[in-house]
Amino acid sequence: MAFVKKKTSEAVNEDERKRGRDCESLLAELESPRAIERRWAARDLTDFPQATAALVARLRREDDASVREIIFSTLTVLGDDIAVAGLVDCLKSEDASLRNEAIEAMKQLPDEVAPIMHGLLADTNPDVRIFAVNILESLRHPHVEAWLLEVIEHDTHVNVCATAVDLLVEVGSGAAQQPLLELKQRFPAEPYIQFAVDLALKRIAAG
Amino acid sequence: MPDMPSLIGEEEFEKFREFFYRKTGIQFETTKRYFVDKRLIERIEATGSDNFRNYFTMLRFQASGEELQQLTNIMTVNETYFFREEYQFQCLVDSILPEIVARKKDDKPIRIWIIPSSSGEEPYSIAIYLLEFWAGINEWDVEIISSDIDTHILAQARRGMYSDRSVQHLPARLLQKYFTATHQGYQVCEELRDAVEFTRVNLSERADTRAYRNFDVIFCRNLLIYFDDVSRKTAAETFYDALKPGGFICLGHSESMSRFSSLYKVRKFPQAIVYQKPLEVL
Amino acid sequence: MTKIVKRILIVDDAATVRMYHRNILEAAGYAVEEAINGVEALEKCLQTPFDLYVVDINMPKMDGYGFLRELRGQDIAQAPAIMVSTEAESGDRQRAFFAGANAYLVKPVKPDQLLTHVRVLLGELLP
Repeated sequence: MAFVKKKTSEAVNEDERKRGRDCESLLAELESPRAIERRWAARDLTDFPQATAALVARLRREDDASVREIIFSTLTVLGDDIAVAGLVDCLKSEDASLRNEAIEAMKQLPDEVAPIMHGLLADTNPDVRIFAVNILESLRHPHVEAWLLEVIEHDTHVNVCATAVDLLVEVGSGAAQQPLLELKQRFPAEPYIQFAVDLALKRIAAG
Repeated sequence: MPDMPSLIGEEEFEKFREFFYRKTGIQFETTKRYFVDKRLIERIEATGSDNFRNYFTMLRFQASGEELQQLTNIMTVNETYFFREEYQFQCLVDSILPEIVARKKDDKPIRIWIIPSSSGEEPYSIAIYLLEFWAGINEWDVEIISSDIDTHILAQARRGMYSDRSVQHLPARLLQKYFTATHQGYQVCEELRDAVEFTRVNLSERADTRAYRNFDVIFCRNLLIYFDDVSRKTAAETFYDALKPGGFICLGHSESMSRFSSLYKVRKFPQAIVYQKPLEVL
Repeated sequence: MTKIVKRILIVDDAATVRMYHRNILEAAGYAVEEAINGVEALEKCLQTPFDLYVVDINMPKMDGYGFLRELRGQDIAQAPAIMVSTEAESGDRQRAFFAGANAYLVKPVKPDQLLTHVRVLLGELLP
């Protein structure tokens, strides 16, 4: 017994998947009872933009975390309107991990998420508004601060505002000073808001 | 006189520290302030930013995320040498392999994948460790595959020629046993060079990685931390598919799976924390 | 008699929230560590278990429920956990207790409210 080396070609090039890799077979495989087959199908569907709707539909039924993770990655790569709408839909789910994965995926799609951000921040459900702010956390988009200011100026829900202030601690500029001071006055009895606003103001003044 | 870029205020340092921690998992103690400031100022100057504020905005919002990679590079010391982070190799022979062998139902080889291969110190260290410190090597076949994106570095790894510096942490006995001193440096013996299969792989290319399956252990140390969020996620998914159920993955000392994926189980062994693909997956 | 300082892990993805909780708990004499999500929290408590956990629900990678379920399944010294959530998430309270939480607080948390729960759960104050 010792170290063994197969011929390079055998060792690493044996592709065990048997079925076809065209869109139709992949969509069929996406419904396979075996998670590993669904994973591979979801991954290979990256090459087929027409598969977005099927992936979105599968996502809501999929209970294997490893398959879900791949579907989210594929939707991030495809990134069209249907994909984004499917991700938005996940924000409204009762399932915390589904929501959080959707948030993570949307952070990677600044150009696609930007046009709908205003609507998300105006959603009647405060949870959705909080998740929209969570998306801004890592969104590489020049409007991030403006969106956050919109929130702290108008949103009546303390936790939506609190989440926005958390981010302003990192990205706030001089433009945020006045709105932050006003927010403090809107929630005088909330120690957390007072703390977070003071921290944001301190960071802005220092920069 | 323009603002001196060479001053970073306490609040700026805090802001940077939180951001960097969120992105990389690396948490600088306040005692590291001088180290961090020095490197930040270096990057502020190199990128032609006027001050910390402008630099930070670029770092946070840059679409390519390149600057964050640059900065991570200089904030971490990424040197490769024989027996670097040896506690993980101890973990391999004392904890991981015994567990794998105990539940193994066939007599196929145990497969280990090392990526990035870099110039070969790590795969050869593992081969030496198995020969020296794992009795199981007398009973089991082991396949070691070591991959890198860079074909030049792979050629160097195959040749197996190393400087004094590379081998300085090797016990003299092992240096003598497995290396030949030449006028160009220390060359790894033929037995070890034959033991490792070197292959070229781009971890972000599905076509490159899909044939990599059925590994028992993957070493991916000090690589993912330099990737952007999407590439890290892809890599973590690739490793998941490359591992057998119950297979293990070892990351670098400053890396945590908490920034890459939630699919793996966190396993604590006496020597190290490693990550495991769940056993019960289909 | 030497007093043993109790160790508390704060698990929250928002740096400002972590700092807020840290300030409150440190001022009350506890030793505090932080984790940014459930996976990191798990790594930290596998290294050394804590005396108490303050855990947010919505976090990337591994959320608060996932963390508590994993924590409760680990073969390590167990400790009480306070789940912290935003008000609007109805149904979360029950899910939190099912996942292994010992108390449930709604954000934004008031300092005395947090401290009271911490002290009760650590057995330093009778409920």
